[in-house]
Amino acid sequence: MTRSAPLLLSAPAVALLGGFVLAPLVLLVRVSLCEPAAGRGFYTPDTFTLQNYARLFDPHHRSIVAFTVGFALAVAAVSLLVGYPLALFIRGRADRWQPLAVGLVLIPKTAGTLAAVFGLQRLLPRGLVSAALTEAYLIVPYAVLVLVVQLRAIDPTLTAAARGLGASRWQAFRRVTLPLSWPGVILAGELGLAWGIGAMAGPLFLGGPAEMTLAVEVQRQAFEYGRWPQAAADAVALAVLALLALAAARLRRSP
Amino acid sequence: MTRWPSALGWLVLLGLLAPVLHTAWVSFSPDSFLTPPTGEWSLRWYRKFAEDSRWSAAVGRSLFVAAMSAGVSVAAAVPAAYAVKRARWRGRGVLLVSLLLPAAIPPAALGMGVLPLLHRAGLWGHPLGLILVHATLGLPVAFLIVRTHLTDRLAELESAARGLGANRWQVAWRVSLPLLRPALAAAGVAVFVLSVNEAFVTLFLASPNTETVPAVSWPELRHSPTPVLAVASAVTAGLGAIGMVIGIRLFGRPAR
Repeated sequence: MTRSAPLLLSAPAVALLGGFVLAPLVLLVRVSLCEPAAGRGFYTPDTFTLQNYARLFDPHHRSIVAFTVGFALAVAAVSLLVGYPLALFIRGRADRWQPLAVGLVLIPKTAGTLAAVFGLQRLLPRGLVSAALTEAYLIVPYAVLVLVVQLRAIDPTLTAAARGLGASRWQAFRRVTLPLSWPGVILAGELGLAWGIGAMAGPLFLGGPAEMTLAVEVQRQAFEYGRWPQAAADAVALAVLALLALAAARLRRSP
Repeated sequence: MTRWPSALGWLVLLGLLAPVLHTAWVSFSPDSFLTPPTGEWSLRWYRKFAEDSRWSAAVGRSLFVAAMSAGVSVAAAVPAAYAVKRARWRGRGVLLVSLLLPAAIPPAALGMGVLPLLHRAGLWGHPLGLILVHATLGLPVAFLIVRTHLTDRLAELESAARGLGANRWQVAWRVSLPLLRPALAAAGVAVFVLSVNEAFVTLFLASPNTETVPAVSWPELRHSPTPVLAVASAVTAGLGAIGMVIGIRLFGRPAR
């Protein structure tokens, strides 16, 4: 490959990422620093204020942020607690059944988020627990996928050797399988945390008025109140929290 | 492993399908309550769904946007995967992280940023805006799928073809593309399904002219769910499930 080849090859993807990830994020920060609209429009261009960020620290927003973080921790924990045994189960199947098992796990998420949430809304009462379960339900497929990949990479002769040396089933799991699958647990956990922080479907469709996450607040500020600058500041906080969740787990992995 | 835990495991896997199956069941209800049919099943709400021009327009638009964004996403992901996997260069790490970034940013944050952007660019209310956004959201999954297929064996075959005198384009056209076809198809299906389901960025972007199925259904689900909505959910789930089956067939073993 010549020296300019990688640049040329990545140009289309870079254009998409620049145009629809980087540019929106830059504009998001800019709008969050604007005064709210006076009269028509959604914000007042070419103004500069920090008031939208100051408002992030009022009691209303503080409780939303605290709730969002707690909610995300619960969602990540639930999706790991459900996802890990499921991944172990799938890993234990014969090779020919594994695609079917993985397909079953993926269907609720990829085949119909709408159908899943519609069904959950009929089956569960509204409330905090239902909101968290719904969000975890949407994240579990990814957790399982990550963990299955990690578990498959473990040499099966290692557990057999541990058993042969006299370890009980539980000891073999505790001392061999679990430590070797730990990177997958961390990855699934940090993804669950980041997606839990962005939670919108669970709180919006199965939560009550008390289940207010930052993502729901962004949507409310933007469409119910038409306050784009405040919505943008909330969205910046949301993105920062999600990226912090990803970074935090990563830092702990390599001390 | 004994038989008991195995049966339990399969039961849990099937149990995860319960909410989706419940929705499909409700969609056959003869009355307007959101409960499953007790006596006879009816296609009443399916008829209503088919006759409502708002829904049929949304379905058409969803399929169009999904097909286009799948094409754009895969076309961008393939060369990017080559750049990450095959070449050693300085921007490699940054590119790798950036390609995965769309999956990590909360949809509400991205949607809130894309909203003013499309407003300014005059693309708000234009399907092109939605297509490009969905293509970007599909990059992580398309990239990951294609990357797993860029094996050492493929590299050997490519260099063998070069050694036998084929030029760059002939290698791409006669060797790489045919061998990568399952990966391209699987990636395309994955982005297609993602686009059909994508709701939370789309909520920020859909105007009455660009309403996709999720953009019509999510607000309805929040404020006044109807049996027609159950039909719409069942239809998207069906489309997605068909896509999944095709994808798994093409991709072979999805767990790797």
